[in-house]
Amino acid sequence: MQTSKKIVLCYRKIIAADAEKTWDRYVFESSFAEYRMQAQYYDPEEKYSSFSALVQQVPAAEKLHFLVSAAVTGYIGQLNNKVPDITDNLGRTCLLFDNYRFEIINSDSNNKKTHQVAVNFFTRPMIWHDTIGQLLLLSSSQEEKEGTEWDTIMVPVQPFLSIHTLKENT
Amino acid sequence: MEQSRKKFLRNFFIGATSVPLILEACKKESTTSSGSGSGSGSGTCTVAPTETEGPYPTHSPSSYVRSDIRDGRTGVNLAMNITIKNTNNNCAALSGVIVDVWHCDKDGNYSEYGTGFTSLHFLRGRQTADANGLVSFTTIFPGWYTGRATHIHVHIYNAAGTSLKITQISFPEGTGSAVQTVNSTEGQAYGYTKGMSGYTYATGDNVFSDDTALVEQAVVTGSLAAGFVLTHTINVAG
Repeated sequence: MQTSKKIVLCYRKIIAADAEKTWDRYVFESSFAEYRMQAQYYDPEEKYSSFSALVQQVPAAEKLHFLVSAAVTGYIGQLNNKVPDITDNLGRTCLLFDNYRFEIINSDSNNKKTHQVAVNFFTRPMIWHDTIGQLLLLSSSQEEKEGTEWDTIMVPVQPFLSIHTLKENT
Repeated sequence: MEQSRKKFLRNFFIGATSVPLILEACKKESTTSSGSGSGSGSGTCTVAPTETEGPYPTHSPSSYVRSDIRDGRTGVNLAMNITIKNTNNNCAALSGVIVDVWHCDKDGNYSEYGTGFTSLHFLRGRQTADANGLVSFTTIFPGWYTGRATHIHVHIYNAAGTSLKITQISFPEGTGSAVQTVNSTEGQAYGYTKGMSGYTYATGDNVFSDDTALVEQAVVTGSLAAGFVLTHTINVAG
């Protein structure tokens, strides 16, 4: 077994117009409504149709990532610290998060279909013991002490799930 | 015996035909997830969630919707009462409009994405004007930052979220004013440590300097101990 490392995983959950799950729909609808309202501050004359054009012409509009995030704060809270979608190899929701970062990928006040956002979920620190095939063998870092019999989970490597930070255990 | 053999073959057949379908699904998913995928799934052949469903999401308003916007920020209390009137209706009270307010903390900083991850939207709030066109907020007296007089940002929208007015509220300044009191030696006990050295007065402020009729200036009463009350009226074409 390789030397264990402490890692934080990031799951970048992308939500677009084709979102189907209830939570995803709420985030999509609420973030679009908030975007429409807040973008008007940076573009009162409605000169720029897309978020990318707006940011290019009015760099301060970068703050819309933060400003629009208030629309989804309540929905993030409803997750009860559980990272959505990602399950372990037993099909259970297994990753916990405290930190997240909302971002606008694309948007257009006049074209809801182009609205696309992401919520980046950062997991609580975990011990990465090993990788077995495509499965990361992980434990909660809270258990870390000499002679521990670890409770482990096995999480598949997959798109939109990445190691965000890594720290060698000494 | 024959029955179970048939069953086995049937199961095998289903299994055999399912395999290419699963593979195809993986292939499709992995191509769509390379940048513009829906992201509602994790994008590969991972095990489907098999656990008790829930919790069930419920509609949640924007976290701006609240009257107490302090979020733990310390300072001298400030009660804000802003009345919206309609210039298209003889300046009658305009109810139902959405009013966003935001301002800096006692040190002159706005809430924004910093080095931390989780969003903190302190000193930002949203209320809908009541039958009297009134919105009220509980907050702290704003500090100031270089280049600007003390101010509160206001953005008024109609009920559908379309912008009606973007404006700012200025404060009375000079001897005996709340701005001077809060930024005096006595105000330091409340955390306002900047004083008035380097302060930009409204007359030299790039937003308020043309407001000679003081249309944007609020009435501010109160004291450090009791807190201050800001009263202001904003006329919009509703």
